[in-house]
Amino acid sequence: MNARLKKILSRISFYIGVATFALFCGFPMIWMVLTSIKPDGDILRATPVFWSWDTHLDHYRNLFDQTDFLIYFVNSITVATSATLLTIVIATLAAYGITRFRFTGREYIAGGMLFTYMFAPILIVVPFYILMKNYGLINTKLGLVLAYTTFSLPFSMWLLRSFFQSIPLDLEEAAMTDGASRPQAVVRVIVPLAFPGVIAVSIFTFIVAWNDYLFARVLTSANDMKTLPIGMNDLYNATITDWGMMMAGGVVVTVPALVFFIMIQRYLISGWGAGAIKG
Amino acid sequence: MLLGSPQLPFLLPYGFIGSFYMNTTVTTDVPRMPTRQEAPLPSRGRRIPEHYWGYLLLAPAVAMVLALILYPVIYSGWLSFHFKHAYLPLQTFIGLENYRELLLDGDGFWRSVYLGAIYGFGSTILQIILGLSAALMLNESFFGKALMRGVALFPYMVPTVVVAILMKWILNDAYGILPYVMDNLGIGRILWFGSDWVMVTVILVSTWTFFPFVVIGTLARLQTIDPELYSAAKVDGAGVIRRFWHVTLPQLANVLFVVILLRTMFMFTKFDVIWLITGSGGIGFYTKTLPIHTFMKTFGELQVGAGAALSMMMFLMLVVFALIYFKLYKRDEHI
Repeated sequence: MNARLKKILSRISFYIGVATFALFCGFPMIWMVLTSIKPDGDILRATPVFWSWDTHLDHYRNLFDQTDFLIYFVNSITVATSATLLTIVIATLAAYGITRFRFTGREYIAGGMLFTYMFAPILIVVPFYILMKNYGLINTKLGLVLAYTTFSLPFSMWLLRSFFQSIPLDLEEAAMTDGASRPQAVVRVIVPLAFPGVIAVSIFTFIVAWNDYLFARVLTSANDMKTLPIGMNDLYNATITDWGMMMAGGVVVTVPALVFFIMIQRYLISGWGAGAIKG
Repeated sequence: MLLGSPQLPFLLPYGFIGSFYMNTTVTTDVPRMPTRQEAPLPSRGRRIPEHYWGYLLLAPAVAMVLALILYPVIYSGWLSFHFKHAYLPLQTFIGLENYRELLLDGDGFWRSVYLGAIYGFGSTILQIILGLSAALMLNESFFGKALMRGVALFPYMVPTVVVAILMKWILNDAYGILPYVMDNLGIGRILWFGSDWVMVTVILVSTWTFFPFVVIGTLARLQTIDPELYSAAKVDGAGVIRRFWHVTLPQLANVLFVVILLRTMFMFTKFDVIWLITGSGGIGFYTKTLPIHTFMKTFGELQVGAGAALSMMMFLMLVVFALIYFKLYKRDEHI
């Protein structure tokens, strides 16, 4: 009896731990959503109001009507999507080349690529800025796309390589015996099998581009070129902070990524797991 | 999708790789040439050395990394020996003057190294503790485990700029919910953005955002630990804590080695979280780590040469840290 009680108690304390952890991870986001739909009178109160009975979407309307938030949003989507597509193409080619062909220096190239992943953005940003200035790519989306693609490439190639390595050559050869050309075999057999890897790479690149503040700050200054991180921060610093509107902005920036992420979470974890162990 | 396949049915597989390569890259006109040359000589396609295609497929990736990562780093090294202004076309060779100046700059350089070390090590240690605990918890079986695994990665998914603004709201002196809760629990008020606490605030916020990285890395490895090891330890009478020290931790050693190395290096060079929370002036003085100092030198004071010298110093420090770390780890392994 005593042993059973002890077991139940330890189970209860475990669940209390789980609940605390959930609150720790999730509460800031819940609070952001709640603040974004509260009237200003309930936001600016010394005793915080958890749930307000006059919720409304005015903060969201103001965000899109009174600021250039929509421009920043479109810029971010454009830059992140372009960088993701470019990375997938280049990283798939490279990973295929490195796993399916033997050539001198193969391992050194693979290792060297991964090594460049160590160069933190802050180490590169100064010369990168001068480079982009010399080529007239300041204040262009192309400059940003190039930056994000390059930063995602080493990790993406490494990750896809570990996926391609796990796909037996026989499958490809079987497809080719059945009359498929090599590129057809790659597109129809290899890429679908490495799909979790492709997903992981897309998410990784998209997040890099969606999140980046440093390069966007340095490479763009024109208002119609700003991406969301720059736009949000400038809105925050511009006037007396309208907390309701800032939180609405936060929701708009975070929620799409979060929903997208929940949908493909399974692939992401298996992909990252494989990358973490083999890489 | 494939441009060449119907017209060139006799092309051998490697030839098709060529057309595949052409159609998927942006520059279509230049690499089309080899296919045309191969077309009348189908038998030669078979003899094209394999490594040729390996290099060709890798070329775009390698070219981008060389041009946009490696070249800038080398260029930065070259710039660090010059006096260079960010906008004006001033550039003069001054040898090691930039380095001499920054090494003598106790209030700027050395202070930023010191603050950077506090931030880097502080936030890494907290991330490892929190991330490892969370991974151990998520490795148990319990109701709602799948959901919790998703929730654990939430903080990592929130864009940094949102994290900064959201935390400024939650910790707000006048209206923030955390100061309110802490007041009511009798802990008392902390001025989170005051000069005494701002470094702690920045470390805690960084820990919150980045600990999922540790969860992802360690959880994947935890799941592959053979359950037999635990049963054996249990039979030998080892309790929970001893099982952790003697079974779990040794199994995790390799993964933790990589995770700690990566986290320390990333945190030591972290710019955006700190900058977005504290900015450059005012309270930012108390969190002016090496990356912030470098950014200010380059884009605030517009001294690109000095900024490049600071980048090189940061790079050197990372290399030295990695070497020492590898050495310590190797020695540890031999014992």
